[in-house]
Amino acid sequence: MRRVDTKNTFSKLLSLVIDVAIWFFLIGFAVFVLIPVVFMFTASLMPARDIMSIPYPWIPRTLHIQNFWQAIKGNDGKFLFPRSILNSLIVASLTTLGTVLLSALTAFGLAKYKFRARNVIFLIILSTMMIPFEAIMIPLYLLIVNIGWQDTYTGLIIPLIASAFGIFIMRQFFITFPDELIDSARIDGANEFMIFWKIALPNSKPAIAALSVLTFRAQWDNLIWPLLVVQSPEKKTIPLYISQFASEKYTNEGALMAAAVIASIPMIIIFLSFTKYFITGAELFTGRK
Amino acid sequence: MKGNKKRKLSLEKKIGLWGIIFVMPSIVLFSVFSFYPIAYAFVVSLYKKELLSLEAPKFIGLRNYIRLLQSESFWNSVVATLKFSVGTFIPMVVFSLLLATFILGRKRFQKLFQMMYYSPAIMQSAVAALVWLIIFDPRSIANQFMNFILRTRGVDYKWLVNENMLILSTIIVYFWKYIGYFTVLFLAGLASIPKEINEAARIDGASRFQNFIYITLPLLKPTTTLVSITAMIQCLRTFSTQYLFVQAGASIKPIEVITLNIYNTAIRDRNIGRASAMSVLLFLVIMILTVIQLKISRSEETYY
Amino acid sequence: MFRKVLFVLLLVSVIISFGAKIQITIWTHEDPNRTRIEEKYIKEFMKMYPNVEVKRVTYPSDKIRDIVLTAFAAGKGPTIFNLEIQYAYPYITNRRVVPVDLNAIGLKSYDELKKLYVKGTLDAVTYGNMIYGLPLEITNWALFINKKYFREVGLDPEKDYPRTWEDLMRISEKLTIREGNIIKRRGFDFRYPYYLTFFLPMVEQLGGALFDKKGNPVVINDQAWIKVLNFMKEWGPNGKNLGSPTYPAARKEFNKDNNTIAMCESGLYQILRIKEENPKFYNSNEWMVVNWPIWKDAVKDVRCNYYGHYYMVNMQASRPEREMAWKLIWYMLSHPEEYLTEVGLIQPRLSLMQSEVFKKFPYANVFLEDLEKSHMIPLHEKDPQIEQLLKEMVESVMLSNVSPETALNTFKKKLAQLMEE
Repeated sequence: MRRVDTKNTFSKLLSLVIDVAIWFFLIGFAVFVLIPVVFMFTASLMPARDIMSIPYPWIPRTLHIQNFWQAIKGNDGKFLFPRSILNSLIVASLTTLGTVLLSALTAFGLAKYKFRARNVIFLIILSTMMIPFEAIMIPLYLLIVNIGWQDTYTGLIIPLIASAFGIFIMRQFFITFPDELIDSARIDGANEFMIFWKIALPNSKPAIAALSVLTFRAQWDNLIWPLLVVQSPEKKTIPLYISQFASEKYTNEGALMAAAVIASIPMIIIFLSFTKYFITGAELFTGRK
Repeated sequence: MKGNKKRKLSLEKKIGLWGIIFVMPSIVLFSVFSFYPIAYAFVVSLYKKELLSLEAPKFIGLRNYIRLLQSESFWNSVVATLKFSVGTFIPMVVFSLLLATFILGRKRFQKLFQMMYYSPAIMQSAVAALVWLIIFDPRSIANQFMNFILRTRGVDYKWLVNENMLILSTIIVYFWKYIGYFTVLFLAGLASIPKEINEAARIDGASRFQNFIYITLPLLKPTTTLVSITAMIQCLRTFSTQYLFVQAGASIKPIEVITLNIYNTAIRDRNIGRASAMSVLLFLVIMILTVIQLKISRSEETYY
Repeated sequence: MFRKVLFVLLLVSVIISFGAKIQITIWTHEDPNRTRIEEKYIKEFMKMYPNVEVKRVTYPSDKIRDIVLTAFAAGKGPTIFNLEIQYAYPYITNRRVVPVDLNAIGLKSYDELKKLYVKGTLDAVTYGNMIYGLPLEITNWALFINKKYFREVGLDPEKDYPRTWEDLMRISEKLTIREGNIIKRRGFDFRYPYYLTFFLPMVEQLGGALFDKKGNPVVINDQAWIKVLNFMKEWGPNGKNLGSPTYPAARKEFNKDNNTIAMCESGLYQILRIKEENPKFYNSNEWMVVNWPIWKDAVKDVRCNYYGHYYMVNMQASRPEREMAWKLIWYMLSHPEEYLTEVGLIQPRLSLMQSEVFKKFPYANVFLEDLEKSHMIPLHEKDPQIEQLLKEMVESVMLSNVSPETALNTFKKKLAQLMEE
């Protein structure tokens, strides 16, 4: 791509200039993207006074570890932040687990079994993609209230596990899944559910991994649903806790940034260990892979 | 059909039954948690329903919609949502396309850049909004940066104060958070263009720029449209950034996007009927966009 | 046979309901000082009534409204709660809370109850001859001053402290430190979202009002409104640039004594918050409290509106729960002196207001002086929306350069629209 066959030096020079410009653009953009991240990390180690000083020091003069202690402890000293991290992990993991299993099961049924109205059902499922969560949050909230799932993990998780997108992805995958594997298992006497559990699931790890990562990321980020469902402090997820922590009277900027750092750590770990799936997950979305 | 033929069910049909069993749980969940609520929203939007009231809701026909279309706050939300969406998704599509084109093929660095650009996407929106809120504090680095670039001293760019700056600030947060995500989408699109096409063009003596304009872009058109609509829908659904900015004291009017208005109408004003009417309108808009999106992603499979 | 079964079932249920503890939950806004004493009272109360279990939960004051509301809508509201009265009022009008249980608190009539409190302080929770809440605190704001910064700019805080809004602006300008346009230290700043509390009395001082005699919201005396809006415009970043709603809350910064603000408006409780958060500053004698300002050409001497927090009891709680809830509330509130000395809250009980403890409390006299001239924020079922409209109006003037006349007209239009619904 970089070697263009041209004879005169002018266009070579031009090419070089463009190349340098592109590098500047890419690096400049990387700086823009990373500055807030660096700011968050450095500010988390500074007293509030330094964070708001002009110019911003960038390198903490002393390590103001108290910020982290205050963030963990919370203003009321009830250590609700660790609890909210746990809640977020629980809710995001269970939702992911539910979504993946349900999507795989449904997609397997749609891809590998012939029954009446199969295509209609698939279309109906796809049509739920048109319903934005924000449009149904209020009725959904009232529904949860009526079932009595208000302020429960169940209420946070169950309404979110059926995912048309997940079914779509998994179906794409299962369509190319070899029928011979299924047939030979059937001849060996396995029942249909065992075929799904023992043959289909273990052989679809890449698709499952990508879908898991996508779902986990989305649920980890969810603010609006817990905002409606959760009331008790012990059930708050991180986004909810953080937004509350920010509005408390005693919170200083340093502690807030420390909380932001701590809140980001689990996802950073997941991101670094599963980078591949974050990237392929996005690729799945264009429906090409 | 049933009765005496029951025993004669062929093996295939029996197996087919399992398909139905496998699909059932999803159907049930979708019915309860997607179709029922949207139907409920349609119904409640025809009633006067107060959140705290213990009295039965009162049927008022289309009055919620009429009120809505007459209310300034609704139109303000429509404008706010449009400003934000258009202001976000155009730069988002342009920049992610550029970034994807530029980093594609930079063997050693492609992955590094990809990771760097993607990194904000893993931060929670709530966390991102709070970090940016501190950055936009008049004393903090947003002003310092602008003053450094423009060689000014002590100018306050009023990030959270001036109406347009406030909109720009929310756009920056969103753009920053999702740019890497859309870059990856474009990279996938670019990677699927057969290499031979580009190479053929290059042998014909096309410059890189020409190559991009005349070959890559047209081939990438379906991806571009798809990404644009996805981005558009995402932007229409924005909530966290605006919610947290308003909590922090920013004025609500310029950034009261439709989702925030739904939330406030339902929770602050306790007016469930009207919030539902607004939900229904949001649903209709997004439905139209999704239909277009599905059409494109279908046609695209046969494109090459 | 059937009867026997029924009888046994009945017996079992009676035994269970007697054996089971009565669960009471309290949701209230955060205030570490109050948490300490109330947790203590709750412990004592549970000792007195071993069959009662009380759980007390706190939320930040700007989040608790939504939380209580969504919980109530779910029928899962707490047994006891308190909100700022303008937000609690719809709970009364929608019959979601129960009247004070006179038996439980050992009184004979509502008149007897009223006689215990300063006149008028129960009006806010009186609805159709019943009283629906007991006051935890009545709060008005006065002006807190950091004397150090006054001296730094050559002012004598004891003599030169602001008495009028005009003074306040002039002095604030002196106190403000900027880098270019960026404010590093504000002189004074308002308490922005609380427009019913501080903005309305500023209008009333000039002869304007938001409510007519029947209690219907309507803009009275445009000139007064426009003058106040002009003042806010001057205050904001497009005027003299003295502060704005997007800077950190003034009362929060004040306690830190870190050269970011010189004056703020707050209630008596702020004094004990300073003590708690920054004892060095508290003991330094470098702060003081003065009366809330008034316009130079004011026509009416009203000071900052006061608001109240009232403990209320959920209608959906069971009968024994309600009864216990009122007993608990009454027990906690029967320590008005401690609420004052430990938390800085004023329970408007006559016995407290006339006590030595109250008179000796730092700056209590300042707050009392203002309190006597002021009235409670006007109560209306649509207060939350009205406050939102006020907010939009003031912000459009301060931040978006809308002229006060235009902003006021928009406000009138929206107010009329709101009332029509």
